[in-house]
Amino acid sequence: MGKVEAIDYGDRQVYTVSAFNRGVGSWLQRLPTVWVEGEISELRRQEPWQSVFFTLKDTGDGSILTGSMPRGQFDALRLDLRNGERVHVYGRPELFEQRGELRLRALGIERFGLGEHLAALERLKQKLAAEGLFAPERKRPLPRFPRRIGLVTGNDAAAKRDVIASVQARFPPARLVVAETFVQGPRAAEAVAGSLRTICAEPEVDVVVLARGGGSFEDLLPFSDERVVRAVAGCPVPIVSAVGHEQDTPLCDLAADVRASTPTAAARLVVPDLDELLASLARARAGLGRGARRSVERHAERLASSGTRLERAAGLLVERRRAGVERSAAKLRALSPLATLERGYAIVRHEGVVVRSAVALAVGDDIDVRVADGGVSATVTEGHA
Amino acid sequence: MTFEEAERELQQIVERLESGTVPLDDAIALWERGEELYRLCRERLDAAQGKVDELARRVEEARPTTATPAD
Repeated sequence: MGKVEAIDYGDRQVYTVSAFNRGVGSWLQRLPTVWVEGEISELRRQEPWQSVFFTLKDTGDGSILTGSMPRGQFDALRLDLRNGERVHVYGRPELFEQRGELRLRALGIERFGLGEHLAALERLKQKLAAEGLFAPERKRPLPRFPRRIGLVTGNDAAAKRDVIASVQARFPPARLVVAETFVQGPRAAEAVAGSLRTICAEPEVDVVVLARGGGSFEDLLPFSDERVVRAVAGCPVPIVSAVGHEQDTPLCDLAADVRASTPTAAARLVVPDLDELLASLARARAGLGRGARRSVERHAERLASSGTRLERAAGLLVERRRAGVERSAAKLRALSPLATLERGYAIVRHEGVVVRSAVALAVGDDIDVRVADGGVSATVTEGHA
Repeated sequence: MTFEEAERELQQIVERLESGTVPLDDAIALWERGEELYRLCRERLDAAQGKVDELARRVEEARPTTATPAD
């Protein structure tokens, strides 16, 4: 291809169509080789043609791009491609100079069906898991009474309405900050990640809910996008992921602190039920009074019982001693001459010695006379021997 | 003389009298001593009983009303 030269008409430089196309074409060759995803349509392969032609369609907005691949190379892939199949095409842009059309010159084509898609998601999941983004020890508990609740959701809304209605029904004083964003399509991932960062920057937001209603596998794909997953994992406050239905597990669910199966379930997680809370407070208050009273009663009972036992123990001790003393006294009396004395006898002693004979005494001797209930002292005045 | 000393001596006197080997003169003296010790023990026990009764009465008066709460 020769140099692109302009024709000079006075001070104006003018290119021929061919030269223009050639110039643009050669500039395009400087662009890098990339992977492009799209749906195959209008696949044309004919024996006499050097190349196979096809159209790649963007499933998001229907944009189209024509592509070509040398026939021999295409046949060697043995893809057996059908129109409507999703593919990844490795190639670079080129200009079909005769017609001035942009084309993707394919160097490789890979079928990208659901299986391949899942495999790619699995690889991403493994990679992020290896970084520890889904680790259980990263999970934070949700605040019991968030000052404000950040809600990132689509502007479409069933999910938005469900979360807001449920939160307000459970806890009327709750304050919500809502960030509406694209939740579907090629711009969704970046938009969701951006909204998450924005809402976390809002003052007093203590918890974030990422909500999106159910949808097809592809609809939910932005929520498995690495940018969204990283934004969720990097959320500075606890985050609840309520994306899709029970059976869906977008990767953002794994990175969130808590996963809710529905937007309503998410509301239950971020706010307490006010009625239940008040009822439980009332119960706790009643229990408190009962508990305190019971405790005082128990102590009083124990004290009273200790008092009674103390009193009894002291009384018992005295009684036991008294019984002992009385026993000794009874024996003493049984052995003593008391019974004899009570019959009218007396014991006479002189200088502590019992007097058994009248001659043992002399007139003037002092004697002690002992009778049953006491004794007297006397002096001998006369002897009768 | 403590109560215990008096009680012990009283018991010893009873034991000596029970043995039957004490001469009569001594027995009379022991009996009188025993009676004296018995009186002493009685006095001590009556005093102790009086104190216990007094304390019990005071405890009864001071019994906390929370033991039988009104409500």
